[in-house]
Amino acid sequence: MATATSSYIPLAERSIWSDVQPIPQDDAPDALVPIMYSQEYKDAMDYFRAVSARKEYSDRALELTESILRMNASHYTVWGYRMTTLLVLKKELNEELELMNSFARENLKSYQVWHHRLLLLTHISPEHPTEEIDYIHESLLPDAKNYHTWAYLHWLYSHFSSLGRISEKEWSEELRWCEEMIRVDGRNNSAWGWRWFLRISRPGAEGIKDDGKEEIEYTLRAIHRIPHNVSAWNYLRGSLKYLKKPLTPLLPAILPYTEREDVTITAKEETNLPMPSNPLPRDTPLPISYALEFLAESYQEQGLSIEAAAVYTELSEKYDRMRSAYWAYRAKRCVV
Amino acid sequence: MSEQSEVDEMEQEHVPAKQKTFKKNAHIAYFTRCLKALPSQAEGQDGNRITIAFFCLSALDLLGQLHTFSEEQRKGWIEWIWRLQSSSGGFRGSTCMDIPDENQPGHLPSTYTALMCLGILRAPLDRLDVVALGKFLRSCQAADGSFSPTPIHDDSPLTSRFENDLRMTYCASVIQYLINVNIDISSAQRLIHRCRTWEGGYASKPGVIESQEGGTTYCAIASLSLFSSNSESIDIEGVYEEMKMVEQEATLRWALQRQIGGFQGRPGKLEDVCYSFWIGATIHILGHPQLIDSLSDLSFLLSAQSPLGGFGKDPEAYPDPYHSYLALAAISLSHPDLGLLSLDPRLNVSNDTADYLMKEMKRIRTKI
Repeated sequence: MATATSSYIPLAERSIWSDVQPIPQDDAPDALVPIMYSQEYKDAMDYFRAVSARKEYSDRALELTESILRMNASHYTVWGYRMTTLLVLKKELNEELELMNSFARENLKSYQVWHHRLLLLTHISPEHPTEEIDYIHESLLPDAKNYHTWAYLHWLYSHFSSLGRISEKEWSEELRWCEEMIRVDGRNNSAWGWRWFLRISRPGAEGIKDDGKEEIEYTLRAIHRIPHNVSAWNYLRGSLKYLKKPLTPLLPAILPYTEREDVTITAKEETNLPMPSNPLPRDTPLPISYALEFLAESYQEQGLSIEAAAVYTELSEKYDRMRSAYWAYRAKRCVV
Repeated sequence: MSEQSEVDEMEQEHVPAKQKTFKKNAHIAYFTRCLKALPSQAEGQDGNRITIAFFCLSALDLLGQLHTFSEEQRKGWIEWIWRLQSSSGGFRGSTCMDIPDENQPGHLPSTYTALMCLGILRAPLDRLDVVALGKFLRSCQAADGSFSPTPIHDDSPLTSRFENDLRMTYCASVIQYLINVNIDISSAQRLIHRCRTWEGGYASKPGVIESQEGGTTYCAIASLSLFSSNSESIDIEGVYEEMKMVEQEATLRWALQRQIGGFQGRPGKLEDVCYSFWIGATIHILGHPQLIDSLSDLSFLLSAQSPLGGFGKDPEAYPDPYHSYLALAAISLSHPDLGLLSLDPRLNVSNDTADYLMKEMKRIRTKI
């Protein structure tokens, strides 16, 4: 059994709770995975069950839920009760939001903490969610790939744009912020995902208006900065596929990474493509497997399946041994 | 095996070397300990105890150990699980909110894990309220095809659908597969398709940026597979079959690209044993387990074992039931030679348990 800290005063000894009969947990003797609760937690839950049975929405109930949530931030029933209490008592929800800032810092990975925050924002419903956006941008600084934070940012923009409260200027500021995130860490896949939302999948996105020219050039430049960046390569493939554009016209910008000189291109090449730096950035071992895959798929696109199979076979035998079986499978598939 | 494990453990005290042998006995001890008591640090899981129980029971099932518990003990556990059944259908996650004379609603993920636990313990399912369960499942489905963890009340100030993601769809698909209830499968399938990302993986919700992680891609692929096992539901205006091949190849590529020894959950992240299951099982369901470099994967999994049993997310982390179970599940899928029972990659329980559940569901349905 965990022992309570010496300063802990059991709720039964506090006058504010003297009118409440606690309800102990009724867990069968053969319960699975019983938890050796600390005295504080057990005590608080005994009173919470009692409060909840009475449907008591009060200040002391709020305090009680806070102390439980500080011990167990994923207690969805307690979060729900707290939200209802806040609304019944018509509490100042901005104060609750402040409190949540400290919760979020300690419990970045709890769905419930973010859910509570989302409900608060829905109820507060600010005319402009600017402050909240700034707060989320800030909380991504120490943990730039936190899934929950990104999902919340996505909700924030989707929710407030559906209310017509995100202006075009704000969208383009967000895009600039996103580009800064990618500039700082080109391998942050979440930031690339955010770009996809901002440029391609959100209602009113502009990334496909110019037939994807800007997207493709942006991504090629990112590849040229960090040639081994899987996120940028996947984004390039993804946008070409989404726009139903062929791969082959981009080959001139890709070929330097394949270390091949014998490639003939049958399709019309794109002109004025951003080209790799010459010489390539240091620490760029060649060839790059993503570039070879791009080349092989371009061969397939041109109907050159034997050439494509040869590239896949090289990937299998030499350049990407972890996926040796996979590339052999791709080689076999393209000549069947 | 046991002597070898002890030698390894003694060496471990002096040299924190990476584990290289599979410590079966230590794992049996670890999960048995967890079943009997969790430390107060587990308070954060108080509402989800049935799911922690599922990790432990399913692990001991794969380890072939359930017969070592007395029948009385197993009956006691089964009783506890039945206490979690809500009178309005489904199961709660724990007894922590039980209040005399008050019904608490079911919770979708807890309902999935409670059903699996009952199957693992070979409980007769006559006490399962199938009609209420069906009602519960339908009441969790939103108009867009997604599922909420608890029944949806549109007028509630607590309704947001923030948690209506593919994890919930997966739990619903398993329950639907078992009891064949009348939910809107087409809209659930459409929703999954809307979650596809440019990478070939699946995001947790439509439009939500990246393929969050291997976990949501697993949920998507397993759900699609379970839904299409129901022959009436395959078609999405004819598009599904047509797209299936191309899409599956893209998903397979994305999944295999995540192997860096063990598996990472997303590009640019570190290995974590849970993805050996989430992504490994995805590749199994897609029908290409032989494309995994299973020796590299095993070597990472073994290195994350704790000398006292269980697995951490990586060699530096402490073990917990979630990572420990998923590591075992991954080993069961790709290394039948290590003596674990074989796993059903879609239900995430042993094939024996999956067979039992299907037979038992059939039996009680014909009884009705």
